[in-house]
Amino acid sequence: MQPEDKTAATRIEITEDLTIPKLFYMQARRYGPQRVAMREKQYGIWRPITWQQYLDNVKHIALGLIKLGLKKGDKVSMIGDNRPEGLWAEMATLCAGGIGVWLFQDCLIEEVRYIIDHSDTRFLFGEGQEEVDKALSIIDECPKLDKIIWDDPKGMRNYHQDCLLSLKNLVEMGKQLDKDQPDLFEKLINRGTGKDVALLFYTSGTTSLPKGALLSHNNMLTMGRHLMDVDPCKDTDDYVSYLPFAWIGEQMMSISCGLQIGYTINFPEEPETARENIREIGPHVMFAPPRMYEQMTREVQVKYLDSSWTKRKFYEFSQKVGYHVADLKFDKKPIPWYWRFLEWIAYITVQRKLKDHLGLSRVRNAYTGGAAMGPDHFRFFHAMGVNLKQIYGQTEVAGISVVHRNGDIKFDTVGKPIPGTEIRITEEGEIITRSPSVFLGYYKNPEATAKALRDGWLHSDDKGFVDDDGHLVVFDRTKDVFTLRDGKPFSPQYLETRLKFSPYIKDSWVIGHNRDYITAVMCIDYSVVGKWADEKKINYTSYQELSQHEEVYDLVEEQIRQANKDLPEAAKVRKFTNLYKELDPDDDELTRTRKLRRAFVEKRYQDIVDALYSDVNTVHIDTTIKYEDGRESRINTDLQIRKITD
Amino acid sequence: MSATWLPCGTYHESYAQDHAWWQTTFIKGKMILLFITVFIVIPAVADDYWLSVCNQIGYTILGALGVQLLIGYCGQITLGHAAFIAVGAYTSTLLILEFPWPQFMLNMGLAYPISILIAAVVAGIWSVLFGLPSAKVKGFYLILTTMAAQFITVDFILTQYVSQIGGRGQAFSLPPGTIKIGPWSIENDIQVYFMMLVLVVLCVAAMANLMRTRVGRAWVAIRDNDISAEVMGINVVLYKLLAFFVAGFIGGIAGAFWISNLAAISTEHFTWFLSLWLVGVILIGGVGSLHGAIFGSIFMVMVMEILQLAIMPLADTFPKLLMDFLFIKEAAFGLAICAFMIFEPNGLAYRWWQIKNYFNLWPFSY
Repeated sequence: MQPEDKTAATRIEITEDLTIPKLFYMQARRYGPQRVAMREKQYGIWRPITWQQYLDNVKHIALGLIKLGLKKGDKVSMIGDNRPEGLWAEMATLCAGGIGVWLFQDCLIEEVRYIIDHSDTRFLFGEGQEEVDKALSIIDECPKLDKIIWDDPKGMRNYHQDCLLSLKNLVEMGKQLDKDQPDLFEKLINRGTGKDVALLFYTSGTTSLPKGALLSHNNMLTMGRHLMDVDPCKDTDDYVSYLPFAWIGEQMMSISCGLQIGYTINFPEEPETARENIREIGPHVMFAPPRMYEQMTREVQVKYLDSSWTKRKFYEFSQKVGYHVADLKFDKKPIPWYWRFLEWIAYITVQRKLKDHLGLSRVRNAYTGGAAMGPDHFRFFHAMGVNLKQIYGQTEVAGISVVHRNGDIKFDTVGKPIPGTEIRITEEGEIITRSPSVFLGYYKNPEATAKALRDGWLHSDDKGFVDDDGHLVVFDRTKDVFTLRDGKPFSPQYLETRLKFSPYIKDSWVIGHNRDYITAVMCIDYSVVGKWADEKKINYTSYQELSQHEEVYDLVEEQIRQANKDLPEAAKVRKFTNLYKELDPDDDELTRTRKLRRAFVEKRYQDIVDALYSDVNTVHIDTTIKYEDGRESRINTDLQIRKITD
Repeated sequence: MSATWLPCGTYHESYAQDHAWWQTTFIKGKMILLFITVFIVIPAVADDYWLSVCNQIGYTILGALGVQLLIGYCGQITLGHAAFIAVGAYTSTLLILEFPWPQFMLNMGLAYPISILIAAVVAGIWSVLFGLPSAKVKGFYLILTTMAAQFITVDFILTQYVSQIGGRGQAFSLPPGTIKIGPWSIENDIQVYFMMLVLVVLCVAAMANLMRTRVGRAWVAIRDNDISAEVMGINVVLYKLLAFFVAGFIGGIAGAFWISNLAAISTEHFTWFLSLWLVGVILIGGVGSLHGAIFGSIFMVMVMEILQLAIMPLADTFPKLLMDFLFIKEAAFGLAICAFMIFEPNGLAYRWWQIKNYFNLWPFSY
């Protein structure tokens, strides 16, 4: 039993019968017009939307969908930025008995077509012209797609296709239906049980075509419940929703947790202003993939380099103190009073301001997950006094299964399983999970389902082990783990994240499986290295040219040497080259959540890999790259190969 | 200069909140401290001499506010602001001395407050009169027309005609007891000081408020580019004249207030040099900022006082210094302007903003 505290009063019992719509209806009626359910920044102010307005909108959209002919179990897809309308559409779909499918905003046509077609989507909610264009270009190939609903009228004046419908009109239809059958909405809500499918979630897939995971209401709700049991939230908390809804982590925070706790969800003005908007809100909970924290780290490092002498000295002092205290805490050693005092000084002189700049002043729990995070980044945040925790999870468990506990944080682990979750390691070292949140199966893919779900255990395809403290250590995707020349297994992601701790490095790709030595392909950070080059008076006109400068190679070499310092001999990077472009999800090199698609890049850059493992100093590249707008350009250049000797 | 820096976790759900004053506890605390200082600490510790210096500062602030509005916010350069202050002073004086006030109003001390209001309106209208050319001319030509205001008003009308009213010749003197607000007769420096404080607070608040309304935005738009402003639907002539009216209005208040501190009102108090001086104040303080008007006034008055204090001990050995103090003062004024134009062209308000920024951006530089 949980101890009785204030949150216990609002604690919601999750029964077999409870669905997301039922919970939503209950919460909306409880909080009513007094409480703010969400805010959206528009024209400079945070426009509040109360629970009552939330309920009304969802009700009308849901009834509108019913009027359009939505049957129980029909799929409704959604694509667009994070904004209230997106969440309304999703909630309305669930209320009307449909199944929600989210697409990444920046999906290419091909991916959109695949998902829409594979999921048998009948209705598509798009934000505006861009999404409508995408949908219109594939509608002929997706015969099941009935209607495309849009809400941003910008640029939509000359679209008169029959399959298009504005959200306004849909709401009007819903209002009409509500007038005719006032109790219909309540009836819709009350049908269904927790076992019904709520969401069809496409996994980003580092290796193959996306697979659709079927998640039930119960999966989602138990997920939120168990996470909140570990780190309770309050209904007065603020949360900023800016990561794609198509990412399970965002669903977990906005729906699974948000709905149960009733905290306020804030939507940024534009994706580009997200960072600034987070700072304004100062959220209490944060869940972001490592790249977000990596960006913050880089920002701090770069700004530190540019600040004045006095400020730098203060910063260095606070870093020293912060790291020392954080390390003591990691080791669970007592902190002597004088270190506490120094920490306090560091807090009032630097750390408090630093957290303020990053928008972390009010953060109680910051989570990172979805990809590996380097220990350097992790220590960096703890040295600043931010309670950053690793989590481990996947779409198939509706979010997460393992998380760090307060005061029990080890930066090379992902923590302990959340309540209701069992974790085991198979004989092959694979991590398997059993919990009420484990998904129902993959949509239209029984083979994959049979492979992933065996006797109620979810097979993750990730390697790892449980250490002496009961913490789970995740190694990597099974097929991504390296075997070094000394026969030891090694995680390339670990190396890559270490390399990425340097502000000058944006991405890195480490190669070395079954090879004699480790090599790396580096992507410099254009803005940071560009600024550095400006100061050094190095001329360049493009990323490609900058990346191949001799001085830039020296700079990158220096960064690699830093990372090499405390690595075992066999794991040290021995050769590297600077890539002529940044790795990009649009070129399929990264997934939409920015995970490296190792097999793909290895094939694509075969020449570079070969050159790195032969005795040459340059590798010739002759290729075409495709820009987002469809233009192509030919790249004809030589990449330098640099050796790193001790 | 940019919007106020707000700490993390400060957000606004409405435009009213977005434009509220004193949004953080830190700023609130700071302002409360400021009010305690000026309303309680200064009157408690300052002697009559320093109170009179404060009054001088307050008068300069009131005068500079109007100049700041015209030059800093509306882009209409004026070199004749002393004329409107003079109009305010003379209107108020004449009303007190010559108007047949009913006895009960005199008893209730209403004559002076009412005269301040009327003086402000008259000065405002007078200012609009000389603002009319601004509909047609800009830049140097407008400067000349505003200078004309100075000479026509002060050197011609006030000196030649108005001063002759009542046959007193050069100056009007206000007998003790005539300057009375309600039950209080304004007779000594501390009373003037409090009256000054109230007026300065009211005028600064009014100006700050005006600047966040449509009117204020229209003025700034005209300053930045009058053609664009017109394209956006702003009636440029109307808003320019409105700016002249408000500037004259505040100038009138300044003048009407200043008679409480003067024994005799004569045109010598409102020379062209005062107009120039006020422009200097806002240049040094910072153009286009209310802080600028205040900082500039404090700085200029204090420099003169310190100069005076520095010269006093030397006067025994160099008696000529004392005789020539007026010239030294003007030289110092010129020197200060030159120095600021070279080293701090954006004025003290910008420096203040930079100091705040230094700490706001801590531990970074941007």
